[in-house]
Amino acid sequence: MTEKKTPQLDELEKGPWPSFVSEIKRAAVKSEAAKDLLNLLERSYEDKKGHWKHGGIVGVKGYGGGVIGRYTDLPGEFPHVAEFHTMRLNQPSGWFYTTDKLRQICDIWEKHGSGLTNFHGSTGDIILLGTKTEHLQPAFDEYSDAGFDLGGSGSDLRTPSCCVGPGRCEHACYDTLDMCYDITNEFQDELHRPMWPYKFKIKMSGCANDCVASIARADCSVIGTWRDTLTIDQDAIKAYAAEGLDIQGMVCDKCPTRALKYDAAKQELHVIPEDCSRCMHCINVLPKAVQPGQEKGATILLGGKSTIVQSAFLAWVIVPFMKMEAPYTEFKDLMRRIWEWWDENGKTRERVGELIYRVGMGRFLREVGLAPVPQMVFRPRANPYVFWPQDEIVK
Amino acid sequence: MQGTANPEIKAKILAYLETVEKAKSKEIAQAIGEKKADVDLGVKELALEDKVEYLYITTTFVALKGKVGKPN
Repeated sequence: MTEKKTPQLDELEKGPWPSFVSEIKRAAVKSEAAKDLLNLLERSYEDKKGHWKHGGIVGVKGYGGGVIGRYTDLPGEFPHVAEFHTMRLNQPSGWFYTTDKLRQICDIWEKHGSGLTNFHGSTGDIILLGTKTEHLQPAFDEYSDAGFDLGGSGSDLRTPSCCVGPGRCEHACYDTLDMCYDITNEFQDELHRPMWPYKFKIKMSGCANDCVASIARADCSVIGTWRDTLTIDQDAIKAYAAEGLDIQGMVCDKCPTRALKYDAAKQELHVIPEDCSRCMHCINVLPKAVQPGQEKGATILLGGKSTIVQSAFLAWVIVPFMKMEAPYTEFKDLMRRIWEWWDENGKTRERVGELIYRVGMGRFLREVGLAPVPQMVFRPRANPYVFWPQDEIVK
Repeated sequence: MQGTANPEIKAKILAYLETVEKAKSKEIAQAIGEKKADVDLGVKELALEDKVEYLYITTTFVALKGKVGKPN
């Protein structure tokens, strides 16, 4: 246990919830780095300032990402965290592991690092917290032998991530697990050799429930949808009604585009296909009765991100529907066109959404070769979102 | 990034990086008058040869191996 007192951190062990302080204390029994980490954090609480800086080294031989250099600004006082680098490992699609593999990951990290991890980082990687520079290459070599590779960091393609998809969800409109694995293998250079103005994230959700929150957290969101119309089982609707579910109130009145009509006398539910925005609400409430359509694929959105140069953005629709089947050629070609345009026009640390915001969606669409379509805007007739260039206007 | 990098471009990248502390690939391409994609490929090979390294300082830069120290 730690020798120094940590009264402020101890407060964070109280209550019914798991405590990160308790976990660091457990790690501190075996790790001097974890012990110093605990004491450094207590010191930060006393000083009301963080004592970390980051940057510098970013990888192992040949890699430009996957390691984030971390240093304390109090190395004399806390020598075991003078270097406390983070390593990111590329997680399997959908975060499926065997317990044996998890033990292997942890055993290697106890040997080369602090023993502390985050499962998982916000991009989806396995995050390994705290190692020294001299351990980076040996740790990487052992993880590589165990079948793992580094994830992305810096100005590269960040580790693609996806929801569990058809692995254990009936709503998946395409195989998110396969697509994530496929594009991770396809874009290895983009993932490991940072070459762009800044980071680029791709996240894949199998349906509009968007369990990986791709619309807010990814530069490119691939969200499962269907092109035809909802499939409704009227017998199952009658069963829900017989159970007392308020279909009008809980389903139709909460439909964001009022695309559902319920005939209470006949106990039948009908959809107005052209008004349906495929939001998944009715499917979530009536999963036994309402299903996605038959012609499935994905909507491609671009530009989501947290605050950097500009404020936080939700992603914009750029392709309302694309079939999502291996080998995903259409998607890969689109990505390459977008990256080339962004690399050519983007300023340093400017995300692709910020570049589009700066130069305009019209220019982006023209130069990347995408047609403007009504699905790109919330109210197409009320919001002149895509402007015609002067030379294309017939007067 | 496909194929093998042009040795002349790799030499120009190394020569340019001698003159600066660190640079983005795009800046290198502009400075040596080569296509960005060719520079990216050259940097990739030079990193594998341990002659250059990637650095993260608010964004990713390229520098000659060992030229930039730990952050102050």
